[in-house]
Amino acid sequence: MAVSYKPVLWNRQKKKYDQILWMGIALILGCFAIFEFLLHPTITIETLIIRATAFTAIILLHIILMIGPLCRLDKRFLPLLYNRRHLGVSMFLIALVHAAFCIIQFHALGDTNPIASVFLSNPNYQEISQYPFQTLGFFALIILMLMAVSSHDFWLNNLSPKMWKQLHMSVYIAYALLILHIALGTLQYEKDLFYTILLWSGFLTISGLHLVAGWKTRSQLRAEQNALKQEGYFEVALLEEISEKRAKAVFVDGQNIAIFKYDGKVSAVSNICKHQMGPLGEGKIVDGCITCPWHGYQYYPGNGQSPPPFKEKLATYRVKIIKDKIWINPSPFPEGTAVEPAIINHG
Amino acid sequence: MDKQDHFYIGWQETMPAPHRRFLRPFLFGLVLLLPILVFTTVWFQKDFNDHRFELGTLTEVTGTYYESPVPLLLADEGELPNTLSKSILLVGFGKFGAEGIMKDIQETEGSLVGKKVRLSGTLIYGAGHTVMELTQKEASLVQVYEDAALKTPALATNGAYQGKGEILDPKCYFGVMKPGEGKTHKSCAIRCLSGGIPAVFKPDNTGDYYILLDAQGKKLNEQLLPYIGYLVDMNGSVSNYFDWKVMVVDSRALSLNVSRKGERCGGDG
Ligand code: HEM
Ligand code: FES
Repeated sequence: MAVSYKPVLWNRQKKKYDQILWMGIALILGCFAIFEFLLHPTITIETLIIRATAFTAIILLHIILMIGPLCRLDKRFLPLLYNRRHLGVSMFLIALVHAAFCIIQFHALGDTNPIASVFLSNPNYQEISQYPFQTLGFFALIILMLMAVSSHDFWLNNLSPKMWKQLHMSVYIAYALLILHIALGTLQYEKDLFYTILLWSGFLTISGLHLVAGWKTRSQLRAEQNALKQEGYFEVALLEEISEKRAKAVFVDGQNIAIFKYDGKVSAVSNICKHQMGPLGEGKIVDGCITCPWHGYQYYPGNGQSPPPFKEKLATYRVKIIKDKIWINPSPFPEGTAVEPAIINHG
Repeated sequence: MDKQDHFYIGWQETMPAPHRRFLRPFLFGLVLLLPILVFTTVWFQKDFNDHRFELGTLTEVTGTYYESPVPLLLADEGELPNTLSKSILLVGFGKFGAEGIMKDIQETEGSLVGKKVRLSGTLIYGAGHTVMELTQKEASLVQVYEDAALKTPALATNGAYQGKGEILDPKCYFGVMKPGEGKTHKSCAIRCLSGGIPAVFKPDNTGDYYILLDAQGKKLNEQLLPYIGYLVDMNGSVSNYFDWKVMVVDSRALSLNVSRKGERCGGDG
C-alpha cells in the first residue's frame, strides 16, 4: 500500500498551536530583555541576543524532550505531540540566531576564517575546564539542522520510517552535546551555583520522565502479555523474522500454522494446502493471495478462502502483535472464517 | 461514555474538550513559571563592567601620533572630555591591530610618528583608559598638521611587577564586548591578539593594566596565545607610556609562569 505524500493542511488547531508557541517565545525573549536592562543595564545588544536566544532555545529543547514521555504517561498530552515539529523547527531557528551571533561576534573580522576559528582559536582540547565548548554547540546545531530539514512529512515518506526515527533519536546526542556546551562554556564563567543546579534540574526532569514513562510502558506491556497468555495466545515469532509477502510456519499446540506478513499486516492460516497438503508457509503472497509453492493454489490471507470460483477454504487463526513480537491463538476458526489481520505499526 | 469522544486526532479542526481542559492548567503554569525562570537566570548573572564602545558614532580627535612600542594617539588638551584618558591606544577594524592601517597611511603620507594628526574612529573607554578603533581604516586619517615631529619618549623602567592575573585583549575588554574576559571570551581574545591587538595584563588584585612587551620592546602577542584564559603568574619591569603602563616580560621564561594550570579566570566577579 503505497500512500503517496499528502501534505497535512493547516487547521485551526495547528494555527492555535503556533500562536501559543510564538507567544511563549516572545514572552521568554521579552522577559529576558527587560530583566537584563533592569538588572544589568550595561549589557551590549549582542550579548543580550546571544544569551536570550540561547536560553529560549534550550528551554524549548527541554519542552520538546518532555513531550514524548508525557504522552506515554497520559494520552491527554497528545495535542502537544501532534505539532511537535513546529516546536523543533522554531527551536532550531532560534539556536541558529544564537550560533550566528556567537560566530560573528567572537570569530569574524579576524585573521582566520570564522568557522575554522571556532575549531582552531582555542586549542585546549585536552583540558576540561579550558575545552573549546563552541565546537560542541556547533555539532549540536548540525544535528538540529538535519532534524529540522528532515522533519517535513515529505522526508518521512522518502526516508524509511526506521531511518527517520533513527535520525530523530539523535536529538538525544544533541542534548548531551549542549549540556557539555553549557557546562564547559558559560558555567566556567558564571560561577554561581544556581546555574549548575538549573542545568542538573533540567537533565534530571528529562531523564526522570523518560524513566517513569519507560517503566509504565514496560509494565503495560507485561500486563498485555499476561492477558494474552490467559486468552490462550502463544508468542511465536519476531516480526522481523518474516519478510514481506512471505510466511513463517509454526507448530503450536498441535496446530500447523503459516503466519503471513504483507502490506503492513499479519494473518495466520493453516499451513496445509487443500490440494495435496503442500506447505503454504513456504509459499508467497501473489496478487494479494497466499500462493502454494507446489501447484499454485491460492487463498486470501484474511479469510483462508480461495478466490471464486474456487471453493477451497483454510482454517484461520487469531494473531496479535505486541511491540515487535507476533502472538498466535492456536485454536482454529472454522475453515474460511474471516479474521481481522494484526496491523504492524512503526513506532 | 463513548470512547471515540476521547480519541485525539491532530488534523481535526478543534481540540476535544477533555484535552483542552487538561492542558490549560499546564499552559498557565508555564506562563507563570517561565518569567520566574528568566528572572532568576538573569538575576544570578555576573554584573558587567561599565566600559563603553560608541558603536556607530565616529569621533575626530587631534593629537600626536606615536608608534613605539604600540600605535597611540596622545590627544591634545580639550579634544576629549576630562573624564577620558588622553593616551588613546589605537586598534584596527575587527580583530586587528592598528599597525596595518597606519602603515598603509604612512606609505602615502610619509612618516607620521611624532606629528600632529587628526584621526577619526570609534571610541572605546573604561577603567581609566581610552582606546580608539580606526573604523574607517585608511580613511581614518582626517588631517596632517605641519608642526615639526616630536620625539617618541624612551621607555624608562620605574619599577618591577610580580603577581598573577589574566591576559586580555584591550579592545574587547575596554568596551566592545560584555564580558570581554574569561572562558566564554577566550576564543575571541586569542583571535584579537593573533590579529595584532596589543596584549594587556590585568592583575587580579589591583586596578592596573599593563601592555605586555618582549625584551626588544616589541608587542608580545604570539607567545602569549597559549596563556589566554588562564590565571598567569607574570613578572617584568614596568615603565610608563603616557597614561599606559607597559611591562617588559621575558617571553622565554613565560612557559614556567603559568600557575596552577586549569585555574581559571572568572573576570570581575
Ligand atoms: C556554532 C554553534 C555555537 C556556537 C559557536 C556557540 C557559542 C556559544 C558561546 C560563545 C556561548 C557563551 C555566551 C556568553 O558569553 O553568554 C554560548 C552559550 C550558550 N549556548 Fe551556544 N553556541 C553554539 C550553538 C548552540 C546551540 C545549537 C545551542 C542550542 C540551544 C546553544 C545553547 C547555548 C546556551 C544555552 C548557552 C548558555 C547561555 C549563555 O551563556 O548565553 N548553543 N554558546
Ligand atoms: S499442494 Fe498446494 S497447490 Fe498442490
